[in-house]
Amino acid sequence: MSILPILIILPLIGAIATLFMSGDRAKYAKYVALAFSGVTLVITLYLMYAGLSDGWEQFGVSYEWIQTESITISFSLAVDGLSILMIFLSALLTPLVIVFSSDESDRPNYFHTLLLAMEVGLMGVFMASDYFLFYVMWEVTLIPMYFLISWYGGPRRHYAAIKFFIYTHVASLVMLIGIFAMGWECASVLGYTDFSFDTMATVMPATSQAFQAAVFALLFFGFMVKMPSVPFHTWLPDAHVEAPTAGSVILAGVMLKMGSYGIIRICLQCFPLGAEYWQWLIIAIGLISMVYGAYACIAQTDLKKMVAFSSISHMGMVMLGIGCLSDIGITFAVFQMFAHGLISAMLFMVCGFTGHALGTREIPLLGGLAGKMPIFATFMMISFMASLGLPGLVGFWGEFPLVYGFYEFIKDDWLWLILFCLLTLMLTAGYYIWSMQRTLFGPETTKIDLSHVHDISKPEFVALAVLAILVAAFGVWPDAALTFIDPYVDNLVSVLGVI
Amino acid sequence: MEFLGDYTAIAPILIMLIAALVIPAVQLFGRRRTVTWAVAFVMVAISLLVNLYMLTDGYTGTTLDVYEYDAYTGLMILLFQIVLFLVLLVSNSSTETTRLYIGAYYALIIGATTGMMFVAGSSDLLTIFVGVELTSISSYALVTMKRGDSRAAEAGVKYVIVGGTSTALTVYGISMLYGLTGTTNIAEIAAADVGGMTWVLAVGLVCMIAGYGFKIAAVPFHMWAPDVYEGASTPVSAFLATGSKKMGLSVFFQIFVVIFVSGTVMSSICGEQVQYLFAIIAAFTMTVGNVVAIAQTNIKRMLAYSSIAQAGYILIVMAVMSEYAVSAGMFHMFTHVFMKGGAFLIVGALICVGVGEKLSDYKGLAKRSPFLAFAMLLFLFSLAGIPPLAGFTSKFFLFNSALEGGSQWAWLAFIAILNSAISLYYYARVVKAMYIEKGKSKEKIAIPKAFLVAIVICVIFVIVLGLYPQLIFDYCEAAASALLG
Repeated sequence: MSILPILIILPLIGAIATLFMSGDRAKYAKYVALAFSGVTLVITLYLMYAGLSDGWEQFGVSYEWIQTESITISFSLAVDGLSILMIFLSALLTPLVIVFSSDESDRPNYFHTLLLAMEVGLMGVFMASDYFLFYVMWEVTLIPMYFLISWYGGPRRHYAAIKFFIYTHVASLVMLIGIFAMGWECASVLGYTDFSFDTMATVMPATSQAFQAAVFALLFFGFMVKMPSVPFHTWLPDAHVEAPTAGSVILAGVMLKMGSYGIIRICLQCFPLGAEYWQWLIIAIGLISMVYGAYACIAQTDLKKMVAFSSISHMGMVMLGIGCLSDIGITFAVFQMFAHGLISAMLFMVCGFTGHALGTREIPLLGGLAGKMPIFATFMMISFMASLGLPGLVGFWGEFPLVYGFYEFIKDDWLWLILFCLLTLMLTAGYYIWSMQRTLFGPETTKIDLSHVHDISKPEFVALAVLAILVAAFGVWPDAALTFIDPYVDNLVSVLGVI
Repeated sequence: MEFLGDYTAIAPILIMLIAALVIPAVQLFGRRRTVTWAVAFVMVAISLLVNLYMLTDGYTGTTLDVYEYDAYTGLMILLFQIVLFLVLLVSNSSTETTRLYIGAYYALIIGATTGMMFVAGSSDLLTIFVGVELTSISSYALVTMKRGDSRAAEAGVKYVIVGGTSTALTVYGISMLYGLTGTTNIAEIAAADVGGMTWVLAVGLVCMIAGYGFKIAAVPFHMWAPDVYEGASTPVSAFLATGSKKMGLSVFFQIFVVIFVSGTVMSSICGEQVQYLFAIIAAFTMTVGNVVAIAQTNIKRMLAYSSIAQAGYILIVMAVMSEYAVSAGMFHMFTHVFMKGGAFLIVGALICVGVGEKLSDYKGLAKRSPFLAFAMLLFLFSLAGIPPLAGFTSKFFLFNSALEGGSQWAWLAFIAILNSAISLYYYARVVKAMYIEKGKSKEKIAIPKAFLVAIVICVIFVIVLGLYPQLIFDYCEAAASALLG
């Protein structure tokens, strides 16, 4: 048996096991969940090592699933340089949030079931090599997240959960129309519909530009709502503010990447002419998301909401990199996805801890926390600095080369557009440093009672430390991630026919 | 396997007929309601097994030149029998049905199913008409059986009046076709030459579409459905929503798709217009069903409107008119039996233990009965088309079939998908009530065992058909090619 199905089956077994740990056994659910997700992580690490040395093709598996006269649907899984990083993020963040949230006492068994079910869906999305399976897994991620928010979230959780669900479900349905259109075109070319990624990737690039542009738009809409890009971003701040920390970490760390992953894997790979047609729209959406997200951050008083808007801004940067349709642009867009996965996980853990320990995340109520909670303050600084793109941390490599790639693309005619990037970088530095100044430094706040406040606990320390080490390690050695991305992007760029 | 010679083709029907005739006598002499129930249940189970054997064995045969058993007939019969099986399973435990005249109840419900089974094997307008009437008249009685219940009485009257009107329309349409072509055989009508009298053909067809449109509650002939489903006892509602509606759709397939696909007569009145007529009916049916469902606070009414919408989805087949679409439509009928049937059974089970049928009565259900709430969640999400459940897979095939015919029906697929999004809203509201809102009562719920078994069967099929659709889809393809080939 191939190794890939194990990555789906393990969390699935874990999810079922924790589901039935009711009553007194519920408090052990976290150990079971940790064990299953931990083993998944170990296997993922092995997969990364083995794939890097011997190539990725060896892992692909395909089982016949649904075979009718006119439709072929298979249960196909595959990995490559793009998906492996996302799989790594999912496999890494799941055990980390389980560790981080180890003091969850409200129905802990269901809590861990939902987290592991989430992992099943995420693994499935990133490994799927068949459109039917991809769509199924895409939707599977929705349900656990809905319940994570509406059961374990903040005061307005019901509203946020329903908004999240309906927004992203409608977007997926539009995507589904796109998939149907692909199936129809495939049938008219081959005489039957094969929903596998491989077949579509050979059939679709040869279709007419009008068709490509239309289907690209349908799929792109589905993906951009997930990313999310302005103007379809409004579900994200609500979802983040109300979600429990674990939900936020997974949502920002991995789920948003599903959107950009889909754009690269499906929109670009299958519809190069469509990408060319919509190139400026992609760039415009990227730029607007970047600037608007950063600008909105300044106005936020809730720490978590600020970080949520910063996610919009950073995912806008990914969109911009994709929009360049160039080697450097896409390479660092993928790198930015990876970097943002690590950094936003840290950011949301930090914000979650603030709310948990102090009872509020309102920046005006905080102040002088560094003296009371030095370890927490250190992690907060690391994550904020990483997110604003400090050289030496991983965020830098997601931003600087990406902006350079954009510069390369526009330097002849549209050079003034680079001002938007600079503006974003300035705003980003501004809101992070300003918020840090107001929360960590200065005189200790008197607006809330700090007498019983304690610094972060051991499990929280472990989770944050692992992420901090990775943020620093990939910051000084970005090549470790680029070795995965490069071959994939080279291949993609040859399909796109651009340099 | 000709165990009854020429009569093998109607063997499943014969068993059911015997059951329908014997049961009142059993009730008269046995007097114990469980005995009556057991006889009915066993005979239906035998009939189901016989049919299952014939279907999987690939039997084809004709009885007395009017009744033809092939892959299509077998599959439709299987569907009707599954519905009946599920309803019968719970009938002896539901407080709603055990208070009825048991002998009459079982005889009528089996009689109604026999009518449906008869329709499935007919290839003549008159025999179809007879089958439909057998079902309809039995259904009128089933709905009104709840004595002393004013809602049931109102529903019954409405049902009879609307049903009678639709019957009149249908007969009028049939008489026009007969006058024009001199035959009531569908294949012969399809091949007939109507000369210059095309408007008579058109009027006849429209009358029949309207008449049978009442049976499937297609918009604008849907007004009766919510009242009837709400007024009838819940097992009967489940029976009507999942069984009798499928009979109407089967009639559409057998008459209109066959005439359209395999005949030449349609070309005289520009068949494309008929397709557009169906497409518009489908679009309105699904949209009205879904939009009105949002406003409902009674779960049975909400499920009734959602049934209307689901029939709208299946009507896509009538616009696309391809073999693949028919098989996808049949597959959706099957998944609909389990998801909608399951949802109605849960409502019925909860009524038995004193939980009302209002949305507000479902608050906090997840705490009171985690299994029922979870099963309901599965059924509703499946109806909304969320993967990996059966409803998603069948909608996937159905909507895909609309696009496979070319871009002509892309707008219809688009409206259908939009409708799926709308429907999620009211399904999610029930889920929200069950899982998130706090209810007044915290008391645990224990539903009758029979309901539990039936619901578990539905849950299993909703999951299995989602992940392994070929279990039934292969038969659907064979059925579609038998119908049109």
